[in-house]
Amino acid sequence: MTTVAGVGGSWLLALSNLLQDKLRLVLSVIGVGLAVMLILFLLGLRAGMFRSAVIYLDNAPGSVVVAPPGVSSTGAGSGRLVARETADAVASTPDVAGVTPVLLMHAIPELHGKKEVIRLTGYDALLGGGPWKLAEGREPAADDEVVLDKALASRHNFRVGDSFEIAGHQLRVVGLSSQTSSWTGTYVFARKSLVESLVLAPGASSFLLVTPSEGTRTGELIESLQRLPNTNVLLKSQMMANDKQIIAGIADQIVFLMVAAAFIVGALVVGMVIYTATIERSREYGILKAIGARSGLLYRVVGSQAIVAAGLGAIVGVGFAFGLGWLVTTTKPQFMVVIEPSAIAATLAAGFVMALVGALFPARAVTKLAPAEVFRR
Amino acid sequence: MLRLAVSNLIQNKTRLLLSVGGLGLALTLVFFFDAVFAGATGRLTAYIDRAGADVWVSQAGVRTMHMSASALPASVVEEVKEVPGVEEVEPILYATEMVRAKGDEYIAYVFGVSPDASMGAASRVVEGELTPGPGEVIIDHAIAAQAGLGVGDQVTVLGQEMRIAGLTSGTSSVASSVAIVRMEDFARARGQGVVSFVLVRVEPGESAGAVAEEIRKQVGGVTVQTGKEFASQERKLVKDMSADIINIMNTAGFVTGLAVVALTVYIGTIARRREYGVLKAMGVRNGRLYQIVVAQALLSVGMGLIAGLALTLLLSALIPRFNELLVLSVGAGAVVRVSLISVVLAGVAALLPARQIASLEPVAIIRRG
Repeated sequence: MTTVAGVGGSWLLALSNLLQDKLRLVLSVIGVGLAVMLILFLLGLRAGMFRSAVIYLDNAPGSVVVAPPGVSSTGAGSGRLVARETADAVASTPDVAGVTPVLLMHAIPELHGKKEVIRLTGYDALLGGGPWKLAEGREPAADDEVVLDKALASRHNFRVGDSFEIAGHQLRVVGLSSQTSSWTGTYVFARKSLVESLVLAPGASSFLLVTPSEGTRTGELIESLQRLPNTNVLLKSQMMANDKQIIAGIADQIVFLMVAAAFIVGALVVGMVIYTATIERSREYGILKAIGARSGLLYRVVGSQAIVAAGLGAIVGVGFAFGLGWLVTTTKPQFMVVIEPSAIAATLAAGFVMALVGALFPARAVTKLAPAEVFRR
Repeated sequence: MLRLAVSNLIQNKTRLLLSVGGLGLALTLVFFFDAVFAGATGRLTAYIDRAGADVWVSQAGVRTMHMSASALPASVVEEVKEVPGVEEVEPILYATEMVRAKGDEYIAYVFGVSPDASMGAASRVVEGELTPGPGEVIIDHAIAAQAGLGVGDQVTVLGQEMRIAGLTSGTSSVASSVAIVRMEDFARARGQGVVSFVLVRVEPGESAGAVAEEIRKQVGGVTVQTGKEFASQERKLVKDMSADIINIMNTAGFVTGLAVVALTVYIGTIARRREYGVLKAMGVRNGRLYQIVVAQALLSVGMGLIAGLALTLLLSALIPRFNELLVLSVGAGAVVRVSLISVVLAGVAALLPARQIASLEPVAIIRRG
């Protein structure tokens, strides 16, 4: 009974301490909220990078990829190509329902004074591998035609019918595609024959996307394709995982260092607020100590304040993160921010740990309080 | 006034430590991304800077190397060689590739270079051979260290098992490194009859710009740039690619820092409201009190800025010891920019307590204690 009353009392005391100065509480909630927002936003940006890294493969046909030897990702491997003969051999392999040859080429045109990273995707309209969501216009039907990403077109005022230059070739924009933009490169679609002429590799492909016949066991098909010379055969899902792994290798250390910094900022904000609130109320704490309140109760009060401040901050921070994510993806569609439930759960847990870390300084202050001194003051 | 501001701030050292720590970290967030991209930019142009070419010839419309592909017919090499003012030409092959070692993959700019190349060869070789033999590769020391490899070990490059012949230094960043193989090994994977770039050395006394212009006039289907222009285009690419993310992080770090400093100055002012009340009762005007608050804000931000800069410099020194690929570089421009951001931050943070001071009633404050 005493314990329950004690716990309830500590929460009440904690709340009254925090509400004593509402502006301070608001500032602290915003401070923690911004730290939480940063953590969640960075994790969302990382998840967005992963998703955008595989956006093409995710929407392209087939479940098996035939790549040049040693190539197991789309992110690199521009120095090796699959020969036309290999594509023909794959197409005539039993249990292959369809083959989609794709030729990727990176290009960096300068548009309105800004360099844009373009992933020029050469495909055959009859075999697939082109834009999966056309917002306007049609697919390219000639070698001087191209489909631009809608966000890229909007950034640089391109419309259907305009001219767009890649690698010295003037191409006519015949369509605009949606969901084909990312920070690491924007997809632009053209006929494969055009890209072949640009990379001086007639009939070659970066990789082949293979659709197995109905009822075919993918493992068996991979085994028979692996017998073909000069190929690396893998599941499309594996290639997507490899693409994500490359992004993780580049971004993870940076993102996690920044997440750690944001976490410490949050903990310090909680610490500063609760410490100030505790010092301001040191007289009351001293009186509580003098009348026999145990240190445990005082710790609970300090801890409860920290949890309330950090909890409110974490909730506000989740809202801020969604707001920032929306703002960024609206104004800069090349950035994908994916806030996943697991990241929210992890961030809320981080908010709780922030509270505990932040409560350390004020807890020390409470421990040092000498009841007699409080009365003397 | 300054003494009062200082005494207000240092009245409680724990609070000061927490606030300077929080602000310092928030500003570190602003510095950090900038430092990462600046570090990567320096490494990105390492090959171009050290290649020794006065002029670079690439496919029409190709002005950069990073994330770019350039394909020229081999016949272009002879065409360029014939241009007046050209002393020497060196064709190279290039692709963004993966170096696979012990199950891990590392992004690399792979160059195919002739064994007797006078331009574009490996530089700053810290261990092993200066030139790769057939079936051999020279990779960056940082990649080798990370993968636990040394000269004589095997890696997979361009789909071929290759022996590490030598190790270079200073070409690696978090996003790439340089690997050099024999031209014929590269051509086997890429196909014959194609080169990526033609490196040009101009005759003594000729200007790179004038020879570049001459090549432009005489050779069709190519883009011609001086070495300086090429490196500058490369740096611009990284700048353009990173500008948005740096702006976003700057804003997020700025707003977080603003909340921290506003909280610090506000708490500091509220804790001293009794003293401010007394000063008001003594006839000190609001303007004078505002100055104290602004001075406090500037001092807090100044200390936070020093803490943030010191932490970033510390990280710049420490991180490469654990991971040679992550190079951080803090430039004077970034320091000036963040300092300006900090001054704005202090000014905005001082607004809240200024309002509190304006509404102070001397007698009531003294009575309340």
